Amino acid sequence: MLNELIFALWETLYMIALSTLFSGIFGFAVAIVMILTGTNGLRPNRAVYSVLNIAVNLLRSFPFIILMIAIIPLTRLIAGTSIGSTASIVPLTIAATPFVARLMEGSLLEVDPGVVEAAKSFGAGDMQIVFGVMVKEAMPSIVLNWAVVAINLLGYSAMAGVVGGGGLGDLAIKYGYNRFQTDVMIYSVAILIVIVQLIQSVGNKVYEKIK
Amino acid sequence: MIEVNGLGKKFGELKVLNDVSLNVERGDVFGIVGHSGAGKSTLLRCLNGLEGYSEGSVRVMGQEVCELDPKGLKELRKEMGMIFQNFNLMNRKNVYENIMFPLEVWGVPKKEAEERVKELLELVGLTEKKNEKVRNLSGGQKQRIGIARALALKPKILLCDEATSALDPKTTISILDLLMDINVKLGVTIIVVTHQMEVVKMVCNKVVILDGGRVVASGDADNLFLAPGEELRKLITDDYAVIPSGTNIRLMFPREIANESIITRMARELDIDFSVVGGRIERYRDTVMGFLIINVSDAELEKVIVWLKDNGMFWEVMKNAE
Repeated sequence: MLNELIFALWETLYMIALSTLFSGIFGFAVAIVMILTGTNGLRPNRAVYSVLNIAVNLLRSFPFIILMIAIIPLTRLIAGTSIGSTASIVPLTIAATPFVARLMEGSLLEVDPGVVEAAKSFGAGDMQIVFGVMVKEAMPSIVLNWAVVAINLLGYSAMAGVVGGGGLGDLAIKYGYNRFQTDVMIYSVAILIVIVQLIQSVGNKVYEKIK
Repeated sequence: MIEVNGLGKKFGELKVLNDVSLNVERGDVFGIVGHSGAGKSTLLRCLNGLEGYSEGSVRVMGQEVCELDPKGLKELRKEMGMIFQNFNLMNRKNVYENIMFPLEVWGVPKKEAEERVKELLELVGLTEKKNEKVRNLSGGQKQRIGIARALALKPKILLCDEATSALDPKTTISILDLLMDINVKLGVTIIVVTHQMEVVKMVCNKVVILDGGRVVASGDADNLFLAPGEELRKLITDDYAVIPSGTNIRLMFPREIANESIITRMARELDIDFSVVGGRIERYRDTVMGFLIINVSDAELEKVIVWLKDNGMFWEVMKNAE
């Protein structure tokens, strides 16, 4: 049983690490475009903003388990298979990207417009303002939001068991719930609790350090 | 240096600026005064293109601001520093990095940039705070960093948007002294937007008064204060109860005679008595000016007026309270 727990832990960490990384990159890119093209952005563009805005809302409306099943063909295309923890990184990333985009947009919107105006007043360009001022100033809030995303992905990853993704959540359901092995369930959940605590406290530590 | 002609701007249906004209010359400390909502901050932002405008013309150093392409606008902004009511510094950068930022944006070579920041820290007197986080500093210190940052690129013009409104009176004076220094020693032309009359009195040589987006008065600061028109009086109300009998005369002291004991001399030479209703002597820029309200009995009024004329005083007979 110990081996199974360790393997499940590994699968879980593997899934959330990579899906947090990928959704972080894609979500960040979407958030930057949304910030630039929003009504008060540096390059307002109603059409681009509306498309992204609706796409983000649409993807966030799907229950994860349905999204996961609905995109099985896409998963197969990208990962080569639709089964296993590597495959489940695809739906996890797709589910988390709009979430990341929305959270990051929020972080960036919180940046004091006065600071942006000051940067404009000495001739900073749009890209210098976005990366040199807005992302820089929003970084503490972005870090906290990344912890939120990672913890959310941990929750989603439990459902990845349905497509053979494995991981601790899957273990808890398969052994603990379906086969009445309460101890396995308790261990799995206990480890999940520890992981959540770790992610959150690392997020808080980094936040305190850079704020 | 800056010529504004017939400037108009609308926010939707609301006309925030209406036929505004003004002329700023090199070396001026130019005050734009008015109550909040008078359009003064919008006017200031039209000068460096942070706001666009629909009517009229804004020419800064010979260039029409709204016709500049993005590159031209950047070049113009390099020549025009700006400071703000809320300082608008970056919280995650320390003092040094905040001042360094404009130099980085413009790709100034590192060595040269470091030299420049050092100079600026000395100028604003914050050398020993250079590694502090901005949030640990007082308002006055934050504004000093704002000023250092605004001067980093050696601009010819400094725009001040309510730069002292968030500061206490003592700090306000120290910031204004610094601005005067910058004007005199570095030859930077300064435009000051404020609702604080004291600020105008202390630093400005020219003033326009805005109300409802229109210029309601303009001219040399001295003249505006010595002989305030209706509009200025709204801003510098001095509420003295006026004595109902006799005639109240408001004497204005221009800089040449503010230090002379003119009133006692008048009493001696005319051999009359009068009462003092109220008055004030204030520091205006590099001098003192003031006013005094005296009450003269009707029998002696004519004598007094002739004397005042002969002695080159500015004065006006005040209407008695009804």
